Order: sequence, then C-alpha cells, then structure tokens
Amino acid sequence: MIKLTKINKIFADKHQSFHCLKDIDLSIDQGEFTVIAGPSGSGKSTLLNIMGMLDKPTSGNYLFDEKDVAQFSSNKLADIRRDKIGFVFQAYNLMPVLTALENTEMIMEFSGVSKKERKQRAIETLEAVGLGEFKNRFPAQLSGGQQQRVAVARAIAAKPLLVIADEPTANLDSQSTESLLDLMVSLNEKLGITFIFSSHDPRVIERAHRVIHLQDGKVMRDEQLADMSAGHPQAAMSS
Amino acid sequence: MIHKLALRNLLRNKRRSSLTSVIIVFAFSMMILFMGLSDGGHKAMIDIGVRMGLGHIIVQHDSYSDDPALQHLIAEPEQLIAQIKQQHPTLTALTISGVQPNKESQVSAIADQKAIIAGKTLAQFTNDQHMQRLSGIVIGETLAKNLEVRIGDTVTITAKPASGADLARSAFMVAGIFKTGLHELDTFWAEVPLTSLQTLLEVPNYASQIALYSQANPETLAITTQQLKTSFSVYDVQPWQTAAPELYSAVTLDAAGMYLLMLIVYVVVAVGILNTVLMSTFRRQKEFGMMIALGSRASTVSKVVLLEAVYLSAFSLSIGLALGLWGHYHFATEGLNFKEVFGTAMEAGGVLLPEKFYSILDTSKLTLSVLFVFLLTIIVTLIPAIRAGHRSPLAATQDA
Repeated sequence: MIKLTKINKIFADKHQSFHCLKDIDLSIDQGEFTVIAGPSGSGKSTLLNIMGMLDKPTSGNYLFDEKDVAQFSSNKLADIRRDKIGFVFQAYNLMPVLTALENTEMIMEFSGVSKKERKQRAIETLEAVGLGEFKNRFPAQLSGGQQQRVAVARAIAAKPLLVIADEPTANLDSQSTESLLDLMVSLNEKLGITFIFSSHDPRVIERAHRVIHLQDGKVMRDEQLADMSAGHPQAAMSS
Repeated sequence: MIHKLALRNLLRNKRRSSLTSVIIVFAFSMMILFMGLSDGGHKAMIDIGVRMGLGHIIVQHDSYSDDPALQHLIAEPEQLIAQIKQQHPTLTALTISGVQPNKESQVSAIADQKAIIAGKTLAQFTNDQHMQRLSGIVIGETLAKNLEVRIGDTVTITAKPASGADLARSAFMVAGIFKTGLHELDTFWAEVPLTSLQTLLEVPNYASQIALYSQANPETLAITTQQLKTSFSVYDVQPWQTAAPELYSAVTLDAAGMYLLMLIVYVVVAVGILNTVLMSTFRRQKEFGMMIALGSRASTVSKVVLLEAVYLSAFSLSIGLALGLWGHYHFATEGLNFKEVFGTAMEAGGVLLPEKFYSILDTSKLTLSVLFVFLLTIIVTLIPAIRAGHRSPLAATQDA
C-alpha cells in the first residue's frame, strides 16, 4: 500500500537547515497495525505527514497504491486523503461548532455521500466507539478521551484504507488509552483497516504488530511482532 | 454542512458578530434615512425654486440671456404656449416678468395665499379689479418697507418703452405684500399683471420668458426639454438647471454630500465585514488546515468563509433596511420639520426650503445600494476566503 524510497525531508530557512528524515526506505502493506516509535524530534510526525500526504518530501519517491504521489495535484491529494485516509490527530482537531455526529459526518459529506446514508453510518460508527448517546454533544461538552473517540469515528466512518494517528494517546489517561487501543485493534482486525501510529507510549507499542524505530531521522530498527497474514483479513475496505 | 459551519462560526463569537452587525445596521439605516431626506429636500428645493418663478423649463428669445432688452422678447407668447401645450399637454405654462394673475396661482409660490402677509394675491385683486381704478402690484416685504408703502398705497413704475420714446410711467396699487424669507425676492421682487406691463413697455403681446411647469420626473423632463429644443429651435429653451445655476449647484452639492455619506457607509460596511472575517479566519487557521487535511477542497473552505460574510451582511442589511424604511416611512408621511429641529429654516441655492419637507426614496437607487453593499461584502471577503482555502493541511498538525 505504501512504499517509500530514499525519502529525505530538510527544513531550511535563510539561516539554517535541519535534515529531519534521512534516506527512509519503507513499505507498509494493507492491514498492518504499525507503530512508528522514537524519541521527540526523531522525525515520527514528519514521516506520518508525508505518508498522509499532508507534506511533501524534499527528495525521494512515495508510491501509494502503486501510484507516484508526486504526480498528484493538490485537489487529487485532497481527494485521496478524503476517500482513502483517515486521520487522528494528537490534539483531536474536531470542529468545535459541530456536534459529535456532525463531525463524524463531515468527511462523508465532502465525499458526496447522501444525507441519509452518512447520518446512518455516522451513528453506527459513534455507537461502535461507544459514543452513541453523546452524538449530539459538541466537543467542548466531551472529555479528552471522548473527543479522541469522536476523532477516531470521524477517521473510520468514511471507510478508509488507512488510518494515520499521530500520538493519539498523548493527551489521554490510562483508561482512555486502553479503551482507544482496544477500539483500534478491533477495527484493524474486523475491518482490515491499516493503522499507522506515531508514539513513544509503551502501551501503544506493545499492542502493535510492527514497530519501526526512528532516531535522528533514520530507521534504526524495523520489528515485526506478529504475523500479519495470520490474524488479519487482507481485504481492506474501500470507499 | 457548510451553511451550518458558517452560521455557527458567526454565533461562535457573538460579541464580535453583534458589534459588526450593529455597525452595519446603524450605518445602512442612516444611509437610507438620509438618502430619502436628501432626495426629499432636493425635490422641495427644486419645487420651491421653480414655484418662485423659475419654471422647470424656460423658453425665451434666442438673445435674451445675453441681452435682456425689450428688443429680445417673445412675440405672441400665447400662440407659442398653445403650440407647446399641443405637443406637451402635461406642461403648465406661464409668462413671467409680468404675470398672468389667474394662471400664476397654479404654479407660483408668490401667488400662494400663504406667502402673502398683507393684502391679497394678484389674482384675487385682479378679479376684484372692477372696483379698482389701478392695476395691482404685489411686492416683497423688505421692498415695501424700503419704499415705505402699505396696502392700498400707490407705487409708480418708470420704464423706457420699446419704442425708444421718453420714459413712461404707470401707477399701481399695492395689492399684497409677500414674504418668502428669501432676501433676493423679498427685497427686489414685485409682480404686476402682464397686460399692464406690456402696455407700460409698449410691447403688447410680447413676453420676456415663458416658464413651463411639469410634474414629470427628472428623466422625462430632460427628454421633454430636448424635444422642445428641437421643435422650437428658434428660441432659447433652458432646463431649470441652466436657468437657475445657483439652485442647481446647491442641489448638486447636496447630492455630492449624500454620495460622500454613502461612500462612508460603504467603507464602514466593508471595514466591518473585513475586520470580522480577518479576525475570524486568523484565529481559525488550524481549523482550515484540518478541513484541507481531511480532504476538503479549497473551494469548500473558501465557501464557508464567504458564506459567513454573506450571512452577516444579509442579516445586518435586512435589519438596516427595515429600520431605514421605517424611518423613511415616518418622514415620508409626517415630514421633517426642519425649523422645529434646527431652530431655523434652511436656505439653499437661493431658495428657502419649506419648514417641513418629506422623505422620498428612489427605489432603483435603494436597490442598487443594497446590491452594491452585498457585492462589496463578497469582494472584501474574497481574498481572505481564498487564502483560507489555500491553507496548508500541515496547519492541522500545528499548535493553534
């Protein structure tokens, strides 16, 4: 699904430059539950941003579904993000003026899903993440854990191939973290959605099937902790 | 969804949205109010101006403007008036510089009983003339004081007749004294029957000017003037704007003041909307980035920002329009008593405005103003909206 070849990312201004990612070679298959681990400043978020097509590499080649991402226009990239990728951000990033239900519906509306269908799918997804009774609440009326669950619901409601989550448990307590991880593992196992996390939280790392260790912008270690072909359905959902 | 987002974002910062709305409502309603009063004032100025003897259209001898001598009079004015009325039946005609008393009352303010502070109007006096041996004269209040004459006194007019003979004299009885409040009229103006003046000047069946009056709107009047110029090209046909440049300047200057006010209102609306949109978009960079990151097209984000401005503008303009029209209705029916409000009557362009005048709203001007303000809203919001749509999706990952 994802193939990165010699990916480099350099942040530069007039006075200085910072080589954030150095010659990253990486492949992630459909249905994987992968954590990118590493200390702060190791390049985890930058790598996720590039894989999520939020940012462009300075050099290197990125193939998504065997297509060269560099060839896509900004609108095409937006369409791919909308239809194939779900995002869960560290700071939840919900629209504060929309209810949990409306936040969950939002991406589907961008995709042109009918009102009836998107509402039904949003309610089902919110119930799946345990927030059915909170669907009409605004983000400010929900706890951090609940908001992150809404963010997960928003990410998966449009049935993406891939969910990218940047330190999704960083702002959550232990109970909320376990609950969220259970949910994501369950979605990975039941629906075959590919999950890629960035995290240095050991509770997240121990649930992953593959851990890619980054340090100073380089892949230091790539650990396969579980046999992907054994436990997970290979047929991912498509939009 | 984008409508919901736009509306809720407006309500998100109620204080800012309300403040902007109040400013627009106030500015727009005031603009409508002043627009109506200004147009009403102009109409009053023009009406009074022409009723003081100017006429909406003046027909005179080709050379009369340059040399107002007795050699440059209109011969057979009645015949000319008949021709004009045949072509333009809605026009009311009056020969002036010498008055036809029974016709004058239809059009002239001096013939109005309200302007007469002592005695009778020329028409009333003339109708009772069988009891008098002299023709009547109606003169201004200051002129009467200067001449030290009262009702019933005799004044003598001395003039050099058209024949070039020695000075001719004719006595007139002071029939009435008028007061218009206008220095020019009250000090230097007197009216006598046309036939008496024609006899005195030995120009029977001649008149210096024909003043034409019309109820038509300015556009129709301009067309009529043009048609008269073509049909009666041997005469000098002037619209009131040319015949009374002082009045026209006053109206134009006042209209310019109104346009300046409108410009100020447009700027207030534009700045108000722009301020709200800029503040709102500046604080929501991360949200826009998030929408883009989640797959929203740039145009969708831009639409949300544009819709916010459109809703704010539409709401504020509706309230402003309702308030402005309410104010206009009040002044259109009750009138504005200028003297009561400002303690003095207003003179403009040599014309004393009536103490009370009425608001008049030009529907097309009002419609254009509403549309222009609405368009302005979209124009000033366009750049912030486009910029919001082109936020980097990376903004979603950054701290707010």
